[in-house]
Amino acid sequence: MQLLSPAYAIFLLLGVLPVLIHLHGRRRAEIRKLPTLLLLKASNRRVAQRTKFRHILLLLLRMLLLMAIPFLLARPFAETDSDLPVQVSQTQRAVLIFDDSLSMMYQPAGDLKLGSTILLERGRKLATRIIDALPQGAEAALILGSRTAEAPVGQLTSDRTRLYSAISALRPSYRPSDLPSAFKRATQILSTQRGGLRRIYVIGDTSAHSLDGSLQPPAETEVSLVDVRDGKSLPNCAVVDLRAEPATSMGPRAVRVMAELGNFGDEPRRELQVTLLVDGQAVAKGLVDLAPRGQAIKRFIHILQPTPSPTQSPGQTEAQVAPSAGLHHLAVRLSPDALEADNERHLRVDVQAVLRVLVLDGDPRNLRRDDEAYYLETALRPSERDDSPLQLSTRSLDEGLGSLSEFDAVVLLNAKAQELSRRGIERGLSEYVRGGGGLMIGLGDNVEVEAYNRVLAELLPQPLAVVKTAGSLPSHPASEGESSTQGPGEHLGQLDRRHPLLQPFLTGRASESLLSATFARYLLLQPTPRSQGETTVLLSFESGAPALVERTVGRGRVLLFTSTLDRDWNDLPIQPAFLPLVQQVVRHLSRAPLQKAETETLIGQTRDIKLQAGDTRVEVTLPSGKTRLFERLQGRKLLSFTETREPGFYRVATAGDTGVLKARPSEHFAVNLDAAESDLQLAPASRLAALQRPLLQNDVSPSGKNPKRKVELWHALGWLLLVLLLGEALLLRQK
Amino acid sequence: MTSRLLDLPSLLKLQSLTLRARLVAEGALQGLHRAAHHGSSVEFAEHKEYAPGDELRHIDWRAWGRMDKYYVKRFEEEAEVRSYIVVDSSGSMGYGRQDQLTKLDFASLIGASLSYLLLRQHDPAGLVIAKDTGPLYIPPRGGSAHLGDLCRALESTEPAGRTELDDALHLLSETARRRSLIVVLSDLLPPPPLDEGVDYGDYLRRQSALLRAKLVSLRAQKHDVIVLQILDADELELPWTSLTWFEEVEPGLAGQERLFVDPGDVRKAYLTELGQFLTDTRLGLREGDVDYSLTPTSRSPESVLLDLLRGPLRQKVRR
Repeated sequence: MQLLSPAYAIFLLLGVLPVLIHLHGRRRAEIRKLPTLLLLKASNRRVAQRTKFRHILLLLLRMLLLMAIPFLLARPFAETDSDLPVQVSQTQRAVLIFDDSLSMMYQPAGDLKLGSTILLERGRKLATRIIDALPQGAEAALILGSRTAEAPVGQLTSDRTRLYSAISALRPSYRPSDLPSAFKRATQILSTQRGGLRRIYVIGDTSAHSLDGSLQPPAETEVSLVDVRDGKSLPNCAVVDLRAEPATSMGPRAVRVMAELGNFGDEPRRELQVTLLVDGQAVAKGLVDLAPRGQAIKRFIHILQPTPSPTQSPGQTEAQVAPSAGLHHLAVRLSPDALEADNERHLRVDVQAVLRVLVLDGDPRNLRRDDEAYYLETALRPSERDDSPLQLSTRSLDEGLGSLSEFDAVVLLNAKAQELSRRGIERGLSEYVRGGGGLMIGLGDNVEVEAYNRVLAELLPQPLAVVKTAGSLPSHPASEGESSTQGPGEHLGQLDRRHPLLQPFLTGRASESLLSATFARYLLLQPTPRSQGETTVLLSFESGAPALVERTVGRGRVLLFTSTLDRDWNDLPIQPAFLPLVQQVVRHLSRAPLQKAETETLIGQTRDIKLQAGDTRVEVTLPSGKTRLFERLQGRKLLSFTETREPGFYRVATAGDTGVLKARPSEHFAVNLDAAESDLQLAPASRLAALQRPLLQNDVSPSGKNPKRKVELWHALGWLLLVLLLGEALLLRQK
Repeated sequence: MTSRLLDLPSLLKLQSLTLRARLVAEGALQGLHRAAHHGSSVEFAEHKEYAPGDELRHIDWRAWGRMDKYYVKRFEEEAEVRSYIVVDSSGSMGYGRQDQLTKLDFASLIGASLSYLLLRQHDPAGLVIAKDTGPLYIPPRGGSAHLGDLCRALESTEPAGRTELDDALHLLSETARRRSLIVVLSDLLPPPPLDEGVDYGDYLRRQSALLRAKLVSLRAQKHDVIVLQILDADELELPWTSLTWFEEVEPGLAGQERLFVDPGDVRKAYLTELGQFLTDTRLGLREGDVDYSLTPTSRSPESVLLDLLRGPLRQKVRR
């Protein structure tokens, strides 16, 4: 230990002052006669030991107090071997690449050496000490090692104040590391001056992901890696991916959320709590075990509730209100650990609030029970409830097709091919299905096989062959040209057990009910080569003839039911299985309850916001609540938003000529972290050596000794002084 | 009444104890309301309407004849009170603050004043001065000239030596044959121990209990015993704050007569010990039917005398 101002050390002798005062006071103490001395002696014997101890302690405290003050003024310090690179004290031009990426937010716990601050704090101290250790006049620059980051000091300078100021202003970011770019920038900076020793100091966590093989040390430049983690392993768990897909078997608003969780440590993690949040509210929790360096997928199934229409309170912009109906902000959160930021991942999900179904009735009747669509309508809308997920419209062919874009599924019932052709309905249906719509075709007496095959050739999964009568219904005796087994009717025999549509019918009463339905008639289908590829038989009769066949046409789907959807040819409509079957069919046809998967936007990536005609202003609300306003956008179709600096859900509001901002949920988006940053595994020693190879070849400092590091002790002494003062006050109070 | 009491500086200006005693006693008598004791005596005092419980023999039948109501006669008691004043003159009684009465001065003044009152009503009063050389005994006698003898003896007494109350009390138990009034004026502090390695607390309690036993034994001989424990305010408060060498007042074991201590450190324990000592004394004496009063020297002697006249001496001293 050494002293910066040793002259003050002479005053350490003041420490004997309390002893002298005590001795003097003892000699000069008053003498009194006291008749009750016996009482005083008796009481003193009880407290003497404690009092004596307190007096000695007080004396020592006062001695220490008097010695601490001059010691403090002498500014003691200890000199230890520095953990900085050996060459830091050489004459050189240096660029400090400071890794401010997400992984530098890691906060090691319970490590005395690393302390309880985040890695970035330690990095700042190391950077400051490197600047301290650089020889007088040495020039240095400071750039950042994360993607798209601006350089705090982009040119070589010998202005230490500027460098210190830039270091103290360093803040952690959510950006991923991008050392190759930083190396390029550093090389450019160093190449502005020729001659002399050029060195790059990389101050970071030396994780394997940031020092991968793509990183090559620049020529004629030495690289020194300054490890802020001090070689320690940094275990971490994170949510590395988040996806959602429709869970059609659970309803139109059901989603299956899959969170991929990763353990980037060497120890297993047990019973980690995973929470699913929808629009900021925790809706489900689960536990997951993660093997060392393993991954696991946690699945949640959640039925999204339609959110009420957004209401706007005074002073609140449109962008700040809750997502509108159909749009939801999903997030999965992992229990906290040392790197908090990567424990959450976000996703935007659009769910249709209501499935809109159009029934094209090919055989409308005045008497409702005789109507072809009666049983179907009843099954799709069992009651007229407001929260019914289905919105049903029924039209006769006479009414024409109208606009189909507003419907998610269309059911064509017992239509005459001539009618379809004459009104151009088949073209409309074909376009609708190719565009992604869902169509179900139900057959019946109006179906003429040849005409149907001709008119609906593009849509039918398989061409129709012939009507088969498996049994006789009282009102429909077999006629000429019909195939007949003259039996009591036929039942369904086989189900495609893998198809999601039929999942509710695999077991139990639903299965029994479905298989107990009796079919008197149905249409046999012609085998075609196409049936081996694009079509799928979902249901078959006992005879093996298809009952329900699916075909993918363009982006849409077609389901062909080879019998009627009323009681003309079968008694399925009066079976309990009919209702869930048609509901499943409609859900399946409604393309996807979820919109197509949102492309993930990562931190630092540019997000294109689509503008509509008339949009003049756009306001983006960041997850932190801050807003960014973009104006004078007239005529532009796209706004490139680059400020994706924080993870979370971004809300977009636009304004037209009126100037009033209105939320545009279709442009809301989620931004997530780069999962690579979650893996803080230390780069292999060979990799570290390879990067530092030029440095190792010149591994001798001018003095041949490691640089020394001064550790000032007076701060600790100041605290000690305060503690001593407090202790003295407490002892005096105990009198 | 308080304004009539003599203040201490005025008293100290008076050289003669006789005069001081007289002034104190007269002052106390002025402050005393008439509180005559109505007992059976030849001297009629007043009439009182009869009430159940009154003795039938005291009914005044003449008054009944005149007023057709029962009245009983009441009388003032008249009896000779033989008294002994015991004054402790040990070294500890010489303690007192500067310009203040020492404990012995205070005890002497109270004793002399009390003697004055007794002699004034022609009751014989005696004096025992407890000394370590043996008690000085002046037998009880009547007459105003006897007061001078008592005061001279008290004035000539200097505080010195160890407390030896035992001999004085033993003398009284041998001498006082008739029922007498015995007033003990002492600080009741035991003398310092003469043995090494004594536990001071135990010693204090043991000596104090022995002294109490002696006093109670006098009461057992049918004497009326009044004890005034006279202590200085310093002894009751231990008011000092700086480091002090405290010394014994009475001779004790060589080498054990000093104690170096910070009063602030030990005050709380000292006051607890003192409180226990005073409580033991009070309860021990009262259990033995001995009148006891703690009397700090900071009190006015008149008020002390007045308390005696209103309390234990109520039936003994007349106006």
